[in-house]
Amino acid sequence: MREITLSQAVNEAIAEEMRRDPTVFIMGEDVAEAGTPFKVLSGLVEEFGTARVIDTPISEPGFVGLAVGAAMTGARPIVDLMFGDFIYLVMDQLCNQAAKQHYMSGGKLSVPMVLRTNMGATRRSAAQHSQSLQALVAHIPGLKVAMPSSAYEAKGLMKTAIRDNNPVVIFEDKLMYQDKAPVPEEEYLIPFGVANIKRTGTDITFIATSSMVQVAEKAADILAKEGISAEVIDPRTIVPLDEATLIESVRKTSRAIVIDEGHQSYGVTAEIASRLNEKAFYHLDAPVLRMGAMDVPVPFSPALEDVTVPTPETVAANARRLCAGEMIDAA
Amino acid sequence: MPRDVTMPQLGMAQDAGKIVAWLKAPGDAVTKGDALFEVETDKATMEVEAQASGYLTGVTAGEGEDVPVGAVIAQISDSADDNAKIQQLTVIKDEKDELPIGNSVTMPQLGMAQDTGLLVNWLKSPGDAVTADDLLFEVETDKSTMEVSAGFDGYLAATLAEAGQEVPVGAHVAIISAEKPDNPVTRSVASPPPSKPAAETPAAAPTKAPPKPATPVPVPTGGRILTSPKARRLAREQGLDLALLVKAGHPQPFHVADLDALRAISEKTQMPTATAAAMSLTAGIASDGFADFAPWAAANGLTDADALLAGLAGASLTAPCVVAIARFGQQHSYAVPADRSLSAITQTDSAADLILRDLRGTALRSVTLGAADVPVLTLMSAAQGLTITLECTPAQLDAPAAIQLLTTFADRMEHPLHHLL
Repeated sequence: MREITLSQAVNEAIAEEMRRDPTVFIMGEDVAEAGTPFKVLSGLVEEFGTARVIDTPISEPGFVGLAVGAAMTGARPIVDLMFGDFIYLVMDQLCNQAAKQHYMSGGKLSVPMVLRTNMGATRRSAAQHSQSLQALVAHIPGLKVAMPSSAYEAKGLMKTAIRDNNPVVIFEDKLMYQDKAPVPEEEYLIPFGVANIKRTGTDITFIATSSMVQVAEKAADILAKEGISAEVIDPRTIVPLDEATLIESVRKTSRAIVIDEGHQSYGVTAEIASRLNEKAFYHLDAPVLRMGAMDVPVPFSPALEDVTVPTPETVAANARRLCAGEMIDAA
Repeated sequence: MPRDVTMPQLGMAQDAGKIVAWLKAPGDAVTKGDALFEVETDKATMEVEAQASGYLTGVTAGEGEDVPVGAVIAQISDSADDNAKIQQLTVIKDEKDELPIGNSVTMPQLGMAQDTGLLVNWLKSPGDAVTADDLLFEVETDKSTMEVSAGFDGYLAATLAEAGQEVPVGAHVAIISAEKPDNPVTRSVASPPPSKPAAETPAAAPTKAPPKPATPVPVPTGGRILTSPKARRLAREQGLDLALLVKAGHPQPFHVADLDALRAISEKTQMPTATAAAMSLTAGIASDGFADFAPWAAANGLTDADALLAGLAGASLTAPCVVAIARFGQQHSYAVPADRSLSAITQTDSAADLILRDLRGTALRSVTLGAADVPVLTLMSAAQGLTITLECTPAQLDAPAAIQLLTTFADRMEHPLHHLL
């Protein structure tokens, strides 16, 4: 199968859906001629013109509000938010307006809108351009949240998101745009709420999102050499969450580490770990561990930044402790 | 000291840049801020400034070449003729006091699994002139002792470890300078190399179950047994007593893997007390209601009194089931249907789920015969009414189920009509 970059996969998904459905359009800062700073959307304006690939002023609340209105009145907008960190600017449009219109109108209105943005540290982009804020939006009922872990997922999830009648937020890891993966030529969609078991194992389950899936797989490689068999599961969407697959895996392995690049406290890892605790408690042979980014603003210093996020080595070290039956405590 | 010149990242999606032109020639004097070379990315062509003053040396990338972001393409050195190969020239900085400039000698890796080497002794003294082939120091690994040569011509300007010290593989051990040093530096390894976690060294034979830490740390438990939820559940399901592990001094917290040890202990300690573990419950009822019920039922077409007895017992267990009636050494089994209908009970040869031992016609007033393969109910005459005993093991019926069975059956024997209602 041909291999393409995550960036090309997103581009293909959007182009295919724009060809299929004339109500789909994209807008955001630098999306047209510039094709975004990461070059993800290059070529779209040439094919679809400036009426459907719209450069906006630098006013995130303005153009996200515009998208909510367009979605309510029959269009299917894709909004490009240049950095995930700018979500703070659009919280009202996203969480108060987009997320609640369907409910508050008694089902008369819906908001089929996609907000595509990014996440991920270790790009030396400093504290205001390196955050992974998926927990903020996953907290709000009415929003779906997808986190592709490769080019294959990026394409399939984007197409599903565009066709969904509800607001969907997609977080792409900005370090993975140039990562290649096999992506079929023919059309496919990835349904929401269906986890992907990337690797089967018997001793411990790693539940990992986005780029942390690669981290978990590398950790599993390290552990395999030591006789520890790790299962790696990518939930693919954190809302809706494929709880059944996660619980089934943990019932089998009886140990789990949840890995996500958002800050560890009050985060995605905490939510998933908590559900495992509630629903697989009597099958756990060790506490469920969370591994997220350190609870600090992301440092600009490369040496410091690199230690704030989970790595294959730190995941493997924690897995060893759990499998050895070590006492895990606050210290 | 030389400073590396690297390909900068000029755009967010850029992973390489093309060198359009060098604006300085090798050997040229450069001042910090001078335009050094021109780079073309997909966005623009930009001039890149020198980040230090000195002389441009060691240029490794020519005009027109695509160079990955971060790659070293030249150096800015202190002298124009300093064209030493980039990799060989390693400069060690230290906050405490300046080390001499020169080539560094590192602790070699002599074995596949080796992560430190013991520096046995120095074969040269600080300040000595050395040639590349001269033996510099002796290293002992877990396998053998070997001599390591200097690798560079010059003077032993610094020794960074003392004889007798363990030095991590790859750590700097010595510096060989080109000039004779005025004050050769002698140091020791600042702190012992961190002992790597055992799991990081490849195990000789990987085992399925990860080993327990060799010396488990005793954990204060305050009387509570620290056990994983799964181990606690399995122990309960398998009738294992975790307290036996505590008594045996097994380190807590307990996990599923520890249940093997518990099973071994349990088998040893439980053998002689197997029968004592059986449960025995006794109920008394004031009148044998069944004795009056049987003739009435016979008049209504239900002539087999033992089938009725089996029906009342079976209905108290979980129907459908098979109940054996044992009397005077004879045993007949009856199948009790799911709807517990007394008229639908049939004789069967299937294995019994419950034995009803009828001792009403005997002089026996109390029995403790121990558990059998299935729960056993025993009927005995009392001074007034009946005594009913249930004997079983916890594996057959847990305590609440045993109590439930005996109470319901006793009620049915006293008031058989309750069953019909």
